[in-house]
Amino acid sequence: MMKKLLLATAMCAAATTSAFAEIKVGILHSLSGTMAISETTLKDTMLMLIEQQNEKGGLLGEEIVPVVVDPASDWPLFAEKARELLTVHEVDVIFGNWTSVSRKSVLPVIEELNGLLFYPVQYEGEESSKNVFYTGAAPNQQAIPATDYFLEELGVEKFALLGTDYVYPRTTNKILAQYLADKGISESDIFVNYTPFGHSDWSKIVADVVALGADGKKVGVISTINGDANIGFYKELAAAGVSAADIPVVAFSVGEEELTGLDTTNLVGHLAAWNYFQSADSEANASFIETWKERMGEDRVTNDPMEAHYIGFNMWVNAVEQAGTTDVDAVREAMYGQQFENLTGGTAEMLVNHHLTKPVLIGEIQEDGQFDIISQTEEVPGDAWTDFLPESAVLKSDWKELGCGMYNTETSSCVQIKSNY
Amino acid sequence: MQGPLTQFLMKNPSVLIFLGLLSAFTIFAAIGSEAFGIGFISTSMIKTLGKTLCFCLIAIAMDLVWGYCGILSLGHFAFFGLGGYMIGMWLMYERTRLIVESSMANAALPPTPQEIQEAIGTQIFGVVGGAEIPAIWAFAHSLPIQLALVVLVPGLLALVFGWLAFRSRVTGVYLSILTQAMTLALALYLFQNDSGLRGNNGLSGLQNIPGLDHVPQSHISLYFLLASAFALGLGFVIAKLIVENKMGNVIKGIRDNEARVRFLGYHVETYKLFIFVLTAIMAAIAGAIYYPQAGIINPAEIAPIASIYLAVWVAIGGRGRIYGAVIGAALVSMLSSLFTGGQIPNIEVGPVNVVWVDWWLVLLGVSFVAVTLYAPKGIGGLIDMIKMERTK
Amino acid sequence: MISRFLLLLACFLIVLPTQAQEGTAPSLKSIVSQNAPDIIKGSVRTAPPIIDALVALDDPSSLRFLSLWQEKDLWYRKSDEEIFVAEKREDRTYELFDIATLELVETLPKKQIKQIKPNSGLRALIDEALVISRLKSADMSVRQEAISSLSRLANKQHLLPLRGAISAEPNQALKAEMERLERFLTIQFGASSEERVSAIHRASDDLSVETRANLNRVTSSTMALKDMLDDDANIARHVIPGEADFSVEDAYQLLIDNDLAEAIPTASERTQFLIENIGEGKVGRFTLHNLDTQKNRDAAYLSLVAEGKAPFWSPGLSADILVEQFEFVEVYDERDAQVTQAAEVALEKIETSVALSEFVDVLLDAISLASIYFLAAIGLAITFGVMRVINMAHGEFIMMGAYTGFAVQQFVTNYTLSIIIAIPLAFAVTFFAGVALERLVIRHLYHRPLETLLATFGISIALQQLAKNIFGTQARPLTAPEWLDGALVINDVISISLIRIAIFGLGVLFFVVLLFVLNKTRFGLETRAVTQNRQMAASMGINPNFINMLTFGLGSGIAGIAGVAIGLYAKVTSEMGGDYIVQSFMTVVVGGVGNIWGTLAGAVMIGFLQKGIEWFNPANTLAAQTYMIIFIIIFIQFRPRGIIALKGRAAGD
Repeated sequence: MMKKLLLATAMCAAATTSAFAEIKVGILHSLSGTMAISETTLKDTMLMLIEQQNEKGGLLGEEIVPVVVDPASDWPLFAEKARELLTVHEVDVIFGNWTSVSRKSVLPVIEELNGLLFYPVQYEGEESSKNVFYTGAAPNQQAIPATDYFLEELGVEKFALLGTDYVYPRTTNKILAQYLADKGISESDIFVNYTPFGHSDWSKIVADVVALGADGKKVGVISTINGDANIGFYKELAAAGVSAADIPVVAFSVGEEELTGLDTTNLVGHLAAWNYFQSADSEANASFIETWKERMGEDRVTNDPMEAHYIGFNMWVNAVEQAGTTDVDAVREAMYGQQFENLTGGTAEMLVNHHLTKPVLIGEIQEDGQFDIISQTEEVPGDAWTDFLPESAVLKSDWKELGCGMYNTETSSCVQIKSNY
Repeated sequence: MQGPLTQFLMKNPSVLIFLGLLSAFTIFAAIGSEAFGIGFISTSMIKTLGKTLCFCLIAIAMDLVWGYCGILSLGHFAFFGLGGYMIGMWLMYERTRLIVESSMANAALPPTPQEIQEAIGTQIFGVVGGAEIPAIWAFAHSLPIQLALVVLVPGLLALVFGWLAFRSRVTGVYLSILTQAMTLALALYLFQNDSGLRGNNGLSGLQNIPGLDHVPQSHISLYFLLASAFALGLGFVIAKLIVENKMGNVIKGIRDNEARVRFLGYHVETYKLFIFVLTAIMAAIAGAIYYPQAGIINPAEIAPIASIYLAVWVAIGGRGRIYGAVIGAALVSMLSSLFTGGQIPNIEVGPVNVVWVDWWLVLLGVSFVAVTLYAPKGIGGLIDMIKMERTK
Repeated sequence: MISRFLLLLACFLIVLPTQAQEGTAPSLKSIVSQNAPDIIKGSVRTAPPIIDALVALDDPSSLRFLSLWQEKDLWYRKSDEEIFVAEKREDRTYELFDIATLELVETLPKKQIKQIKPNSGLRALIDEALVISRLKSADMSVRQEAISSLSRLANKQHLLPLRGAISAEPNQALKAEMERLERFLTIQFGASSEERVSAIHRASDDLSVETRANLNRVTSSTMALKDMLDDDANIARHVIPGEADFSVEDAYQLLIDNDLAEAIPTASERTQFLIENIGEGKVGRFTLHNLDTQKNRDAAYLSLVAEGKAPFWSPGLSADILVEQFEFVEVYDERDAQVTQAAEVALEKIETSVALSEFVDVLLDAISLASIYFLAAIGLAITFGVMRVINMAHGEFIMMGAYTGFAVQQFVTNYTLSIIIAIPLAFAVTFFAGVALERLVIRHLYHRPLETLLATFGISIALQQLAKNIFGTQARPLTAPEWLDGALVINDVISISLIRIAIFGLGVLFFVVLLFVLNKTRFGLETRAVTQNRQMAASMGINPNFINMLTFGLGSGIAGIAGVAIGLYAKVTSEMGGDYIVQSFMTVVVGGVGNIWGTLAGAVMIGFLQKGIEWFNPANTLAAQTYMIIFIIIFIQFRPRGIIALKGRAAGD
């Protein structure tokens, strides 16, 4: 209790860390506002992982103490809270963020103060910060394989790219449009539509998609629709009687968590691409799910960003143990090449571009709200800069040898050390 | 010149008190800061304080337009945001240009102006799926022009909107909802990627001031705190000058009975329009100082709820007394930041664990209700009551 | 034993499975065991020969095997990748059956076996393979299934079996469907021009997506150079580069493809040549630091061209001039001009009726959107419109109604019953919440209308957070009963989901009931009396406090019911109220305060406007909303009191 009071007074005075012998982990997930719907789960995941680690005897013989803050889905507040975590609470590492814009908000702060952030969500790529480890999927670990699956396995010839109007769908669709063009799909066979966050009136858009089939080509939908807008979209899809056999939909932002808000009987067979599904068949996954349900309740599900935190946290723990300190630079060096068993039966490795190797899983929605995994690739190394846009194809990231996250291979020079914000 | 000023100050001792307190506060912050002082106030705290001062400034604007003129505008955060966008464009463009030029210096051929433009476009708009610099960025290279736009764009918007609204005598609740519609329309427009202002991503990295790479954030944050304090002081004086004048009486008259003032021969619409535009500009300047401290601006900032919060600050502080707005804004925003920061220990009452992060908004909401019901004049009203007690 | 022998055999004959028949007669087991890895992996790229081989066996057990494969009933033993049919037993072990004989082979725990999961592309392939045999099935549901899969993947080989099935089909509805399908197949694969043209004529009244798809396949075309064509090419029309969707770049690319032109080096390609030719800080005679303008770079490039070090380019070179010298045509892939002619005519006819139908469809959408806005706003029409209370917590009452629906579904699993319970319960819950709000807060603020805004805003954020604390942050399901699933389909273009029709019905019901209550009942009379002149009403013996309480409760209760309806069609989250609050206020204000008719007019206007704008700008829904709000702002300038403004004393202020 005393310690907590001290923490409270630390508000005005920059506390000296030596007073506490603990290792502090900052958790920067929105607990209120629009993103709370997704991010609260990740906060609970982190608390569970930290508890588990403490039961195993902590880290470097010390207890890990979580510091939870609430950036309230307010993007500037993310930067403020990140600064607070790093300077006031003096945390050793931060696990957090969901949306790209919140990450872009935090980036300058983390880079300025040389912090360490583990970012657990699939994102649009085109970034590699010295101070961020991206444990979610880059586009080549989710979007590209899913599109390949559409082209090769389902024979889709006409694409509807539906997305929420923000950076992840925009960039992903830009990459996909170029990728599809390279594969010989003409521009007129790609229909793009953006809707606002939380959009609920889908009848017109679903009708437009159905009408795409009028020229006799097989239509497929690639959905980057975010969050709760999906609920209305899938309800409308079911109402319009669009079956997965007629027009398959592959979603990049719909996981087990989102499906709990839906009755999936009419959606059976539609697809999602992730690096993890709860239905993955491995012992590590079974025990992970068991502890999660024990803690949070039988009706709770696990999802992909949770696995990303699971891998990220454990890798960080191992890196700290290897480095013998929580010093950011030492830990970062120790992170490269770090390997850890993922929950789908393979191994994740941290690459020098701060991305993970991950398998790509494609699952079909089942009646019980779970996914039936119908395709699983080998581990794919995450690519920070996509190969499918000419301006990015020449860039690469290598923090170990080149010490640069945006290295132009054509001119053999580092474009910039800090990131694009 | 000495005469009227002294007279004004004599009549309004609160101006001197306020300026004195503000200077004391600023000096205290400077001494405590990590930049020049002993460092017991962290940089993040300095930033929070600086931002709070900006909120106080827009709260003064809100008090002028609502507390004195009776226009419950639910759209002033739109002007605040626009001010931020205008300065953000320069910050972002210039920073990117410097990065691009230094990286292109190593290229095999010296870059052409077009190549530099293209590279800047890719850098800024690459993440939102574009590459070309939209036309509205035409002046982004020039700090003076963008600074002028900070005042001009929101001012013009307020002028056009206010002229239309006041001319057709939209008043009361209708006007509130109309201003809310305006801010919603602007937010939705900016949310579009095609708006040319990076859609939902907004403008980010604004705390990195171009050309000041070598200056640590602890210094920059203090400079902005000083700028915020200066703007707030100026805003306070201007607000006082207006309300403690004949004009102040007219606008208070408009608040209390618009028709009667009109019958007295005053051109009510002009007065309202003047106050509306002036406060919009004050809000825009507050925004232009706020966002470089916040680091990022995006359309969610101007969602209608922000402007409602603004009204609540002013109500809690106490309407119709400029310092009340300052107190309300400072109090609510500081408390918010305290409770969501995980610094208040959670209370365990038997089996119930009160996690502040979960309950803070409930508490805040209930306190709004309590203030409106039991302290309709806000905190300022309480201070008045104490004063009254003393003079008795 | 046999399988082991065959495995051995396979080692000698490394050939495609279909060719294995050269050795011994193939059997189901031999084909399966040879291709076990591919079957397990299940990709569209490797599966077709296996499926063909199995179908070629023409044996019930191999067809059954295909069905089982498709239904995900096959499993394999991890130790040797042998494939079985598996069935789960109660003790979580699996019984494995032989694929050919269906005899029990052994029982294994789940760990040692794995399910084979073909993807939907592969399942469709199997569908296609099984379709002919399924058409002959005695079971009608199997035939139905065959027809629905045929409608997706029919090709030439299916035409004859389908015609055979039509004559044998006893069920009229299914027969009609078969005939329709036969028509499509004839259009594409019919033997003679006459046959195909007559099928096209018969199809031209049908505006389904399938018909258009089939006709469009017939009229598919490519661009070509006229000089490169055969004499019998079926030319659709002449095209001029730069017009319609045939760009100059496309035309020029066609020239390049036909070796009639060379690619024009782009600016970045030319720069690349300059870089390659850098020597001693110079490109030719140009020093490097001068090459920072496009003009100088062009000059340097021209000097390289002159030296023959780079491909030809000149500043005036442009594709436009080059393509003008050639004649381009659009050519049908289909050679039969009679057929393409008929198809074009039919398509044109269909397109006209499609356009008409689309218009009707947008109208329906607009009506539906209007009814949703109406439903969300109608409670507000009472609390704000009649009582002039700005209730910012109105959206949260909608949310409370939706969560009530969700809570009821937790206890009552029959969806129909749960909705029947949820609607009155939601009304009750929000009615009492409204009454409580009125008693505790709003009553004290009647003389300070703008301040109700602040107080109720406080209530709104408190309620939102409370909902989060109670129900969690995830979206919760509120599932419509089965009879509300699906859509009313008028034709292939005009359709509307039943849930939206229900919402429309609910809106109409509310409208009528409220109109009746406010205008024809004593309560309505008293409500109007109290809101118009409180003192006068009180002196007439009306208890204004009581009436205000009831009226506010009524408005809130209606919001609760609207919440159930909105939750059914969209989502249930703690934030859902926020989506409707601003829209609802605008609906009431645009329509005109104090009058249910006004709210109706407002909802209709906003709904139609939004759909209308979306119709013109389908790619960006956000823009539609922005323009709509701007329109509303301008509209209010001209009619500050809304579409239907109260006149006289009642207008008050």
